[in-house]
Amino acid sequence: LFFSFSFLYLLCSTSGYILSLYVDCLVVNLDYISCTWNKTGTPEVNYTFYSKLGNDQWKMCNHYLTENNVNIGCNKEIDSRDRFKTFRTQLTNGSEWFEKGHELKKQVKLNPPTNLTVLNGSDFNLWFYWNHTSPAPLHCVESEVRFRTNNNNWDVVSAGIQKYCINLPSSSSRYELQVRNRVDDACGESIFWSDWSEPVVWGSNNSTYAKNSMSPWMPVMYVVGAITVILLAMILLHHERWQLFVTSEGFFSLFFKDWFQFSKGLKDNFKPDYNERACPVREYNYVSQSDVVSSDGSTCSVTTDQTDCSIEHDPEDLSAPFPSNPVSSEEVQKASV
Amino acid sequence: MKLIVFCLFTIYCCSLVKASTMEHKKLKEVLRELKMLKSNLPNTELMMNTPPKDIEDCCCLTALTCFRETLLEHFGISGKYQKKLYKSLNHTLTVSTFGLNFCNTETSTTNCSTCHSHPKENASEFFNRLESLVQRVRLFQIYFRKLYIKY
Repeated sequence: LFFSFSFLYLLCSTSGYILSLYVDCLVVNLDYISCTWNKTGTPEVNYTFYSKLGNDQWKMCNHYLTENNVNIGCNKEIDSRDRFKTFRTQLTNGSEWFEKGHELKKQVKLNPPTNLTVLNGSDFNLWFYWNHTSPAPLHCVESEVRFRTNNNNWDVVSAGIQKYCINLPSSSSRYELQVRNRVDDACGESIFWSDWSEPVVWGSNNSTYAKNSMSPWMPVMYVVGAITVILLAMILLHHERWQLFVTSEGFFSLFFKDWFQFSKGLKDNFKPDYNERACPVREYNYVSQSDVVSSDGSTCSVTTDQTDCSIEHDPEDLSAPFPSNPVSSEEVQKASV
Repeated sequence: MKLIVFCLFTIYCCSLVKASTMEHKKLKEVLRELKMLKSNLPNTELMMNTPPKDIEDCCCLTALTCFRETLLEHFGISGKYQKKLYKSLNHTLTVSTFGLNFCNTETSTTNCSTCHSHPKENASEFFNRLESLVQRVRLFQIYFRKLYIKY
């Protein structure tokens, strides 16, 4: 029982030690595979690394990564299509072997895009362009940008192939943009995005220039506006009505002259000795519609109890025009005489 | 006469580029249909003969045939997604991409394993390997098209 427990203890401790050498492999920029085994700390001894890609033979590493003179990783150059093949790794210190299989297709991290530039296009939009350095075809690379205006929060959006547009930017705002990429779904999507590219800024320098370039126009606009107002005032001042308006007498005669004519009766009504003449009320005979047809052929309706004193009309005055009301029998008899 | 020859040559070149563009789109269509089928798998415990991941370049067409016939054998074409995928895998453009553009005629294809000799894997692994094969071929096809346009 004692020996079995000892054996189990040794097995567990040994297993734990091997398991602590966890090998992580990543395809970097579709150029090479980078495998490391220092995730849980720098190993105490140097390990020899072997790898087998697809149906090839096992090959020893020829480019180790070291830390404090201890091997902690290995870089292996590959073709971009090799990530679809099986990849196996072996770590050994002579007495211990650790073998592991890796799925490389999605374990890809591209380098960040480069040469990020910004142009103010002829369409007044802001265009951003960049390059990517991986051997992947353009249609296999998916890009994402993040931008912010005036140091506000970042906005993250998908981008086109090597370009992005901000519509009609404000000349007084500052725009900052970064871009990152990864292999897209149709070419074996990578689960890692690249790091963000170096930022590009637009507007911080131009905002000052824009202010200076606009300032000569503002006083000009103010002067033109002032001159226009003065000219309008002068025209009005020289106008006859405006001169009359200045004096109080002219004011009343200008605005109330016509109005007074129409309301002369109203004016008279407020005189203390005002005496209104009685308005005769008459009964009108019915006139058939055929007799009162107007010149345009339309017929008018006829009422029988209509009184109208709005028009001043002397029944004895035969020269006055007939009212627009139905004709009274008395007036017809007088007109025919 | 020279003008006619030049025009015919231009039309021929444009048709070749157009054909490779169509192949490119066809493979993208295959991947799209495969994705739909994977998300609607009727029975994930089914075991099927599955070509390995490390297929030689000149055996890609043989592998495609194996995938297609295994799909027909185990899933049939009664389902909407199965039918679409089968038709796309059987399309002339798909076959030509896997065959002609991917393997020159000088290399022998007699060393390619038969379909029934491949070990069996579950349906999930089957479709993952088919997806990887199509993505690999598509990547090479894009390279091929760039080289063709360049030279």
